[in-house]
Amino acid sequence: MQTLISSGADIVFNSLVLGGVFLIVAIGLNIIYGLSRVMNLAHGSLYALGAYFGFTIVGSGLNFFIALLIAPIVVGVFGLLLERVLIAPMRERPMIYTLILTYGLMFFLDGLIKYLWGNETRFIELPAFLNQTLTVGSISYPSYRLATLFGVAGIMGGLSLLLGKTKIGTTMRAASNIPEMVSVLGVNMKLVHMGGFVLGCVLAGLAGVLAGPLFTVYPIMGHEMLISSFVVIVIGGLGSLRGAVLAAFLIGAVQTLAEFFITDFAMVVVYMMMAVILVFMPRGLLGEGKFE
Amino acid sequence: MIVVALFALPYFVPNRFYLRLVNEMLIYGLLAMSLDVLLGYTGLLSFMHTSYLGIAAYIVGLFLKFVCPSSLWLAFLVGLVGTGVIALVVGWVQVRTGGLAFALLTLAFGMMYFTVVWKWYGVTGGDDGLMGVPHPDITLGPWTLANSGDSNGIYYLSLLIVMLCFVVTRRIIRSPFGAVLESIRENEERASFVGINVRFYKLLGWMLACLLAGVAGVLFILFRGYIGPTTMDAFAGAGVLMMVLLGGMGTLWGPLVGAGLFIYIQDYISTMTEHWELFLGLVVILLVLFMPRGVAGLSDLLRRGGKE
Repeated sequence: MQTLISSGADIVFNSLVLGGVFLIVAIGLNIIYGLSRVMNLAHGSLYALGAYFGFTIVGSGLNFFIALLIAPIVVGVFGLLLERVLIAPMRERPMIYTLILTYGLMFFLDGLIKYLWGNETRFIELPAFLNQTLTVGSISYPSYRLATLFGVAGIMGGLSLLLGKTKIGTTMRAASNIPEMVSVLGVNMKLVHMGGFVLGCVLAGLAGVLAGPLFTVYPIMGHEMLISSFVVIVIGGLGSLRGAVLAAFLIGAVQTLAEFFITDFAMVVVYMMMAVILVFMPRGLLGEGKFE
Repeated sequence: MIVVALFALPYFVPNRFYLRLVNEMLIYGLLAMSLDVLLGYTGLLSFMHTSYLGIAAYIVGLFLKFVCPSSLWLAFLVGLVGTGVIALVVGWVQVRTGGLAFALLTLAFGMMYFTVVWKWYGVTGGDDGLMGVPHPDITLGPWTLANSGDSNGIYYLSLLIVMLCFVVTRRIIRSPFGAVLESIRENEERASFVGINVRFYKLLGWMLACLLAGVAGVLFILFRGYIGPTTMDAFAGAGVLMMVLLGGMGTLWGPLVGAGLFIYIQDYISTMTEHWELFLGLVVILLVLFMPRGVAGLSDLLRRGGKE
């Protein structure tokens, strides 16, 4: 009974943590898509880049929280560069070109990561007070994982304040729903696209640093996260932010449960679920394009 | 002239290595051409088209190894039917979506096949791949022409089948059916307004592409006698995409040329550096930015330049 409770609690918390990380990555991808209809296939690699920057910053003796602050900013600046040089010129061409371009970018960034940091698995050192286990009754749980949950809640809170209460957020939501009208009203759509892309990249970088200590840092971490966040946004509805929240925790739970019971084929279950949902609801759980 | 050159090749190239390289170009050329049917004509993007080469190769490999090691054409049939059934089920799900979601689904399903092949150690050999697949004789009716393990034999078989597929596919693409596919690429909504069952035709385009990839897969396993999971990973999928881009979408012959160039460059670069991934990514980016119509675009340019 004791072990049943504690492994049950483990599954619940692990699902939440996994879902939370999925959520931060996927919502970045979704904001970019919702604002500029660009599907960035290099998004997972930006997440990996964030984790590696975090590793380097912590490795150079700085505090983990400094890494949590700086790494996303670096990824954001890098994202700005990418948007200006590669993504923006693709806007007049059919969508397929953007997809292929960012796919190439994904391999380029992965190659770059292997070139700069090598193939080995890396670990991000945590400050001592985060690197312990909390015990309540018969349930014990690593404190960093709990902290991640608060981190995810904080980021989502900040994001909903930004989108819901500020002028920038209102403009972004409007630009996602009726772009023509917003641009007629005199808003510079180039800036909106750019801002959305950078915001998405910052979120990816942030998720990378947060996830680094959880799942370790390795070159193909971006691929796995990319696929998972696709599943999340396809199930939730492309461009729908609430759908992403719902789908992220759903996938987090399904994947954690599947890994608990059938280790090797866990992802197969997730893909199957996606296929089934798409057959019955081709536009995802909450429909496409609900940017709120 | 090119055809004659290809037929005469085994007599002029003393080195078996180069013959095998050309053979590989032919097989990947067929795969790239099959992706072009989907990408260039139907306007649907598949990130993991190598999956269907891999599926056919695994099915035929398992069939030859455990069921019937001697019959080439039976293996061909089993491979194509098996690939067709899987492609039909997955395609039926995929055509419900269009454009972007379709592309993402091909990636997700591709990763799923890869995971299955990689982890299902008992059947597929996991990481080690499927080794020691027997080479059946190439027969035509009562005559035995050659063994598929012989590099000349498999070369002529590949050449003939690839040529046959090219001619048939070109015939299909130039038929009214091909025009329907192109109308879907140009504008799905309008196509459905004039009474075209878009989902059905997308599924047909998908099946054609997957079956051609399946033919390439059967040739692949006969040629190599071995297949491992890396043949079907995301990286290999990007490679095929690059062959199509390099040659030029929507031309059928372009991707064949693109595959030849790609295999040659890959062979050349991978002997020099281990960071092949970096180059692949960079070349794809540059191609999309500056040469979106590939080699076919260049040859158009030359032809127009000549006339003026």
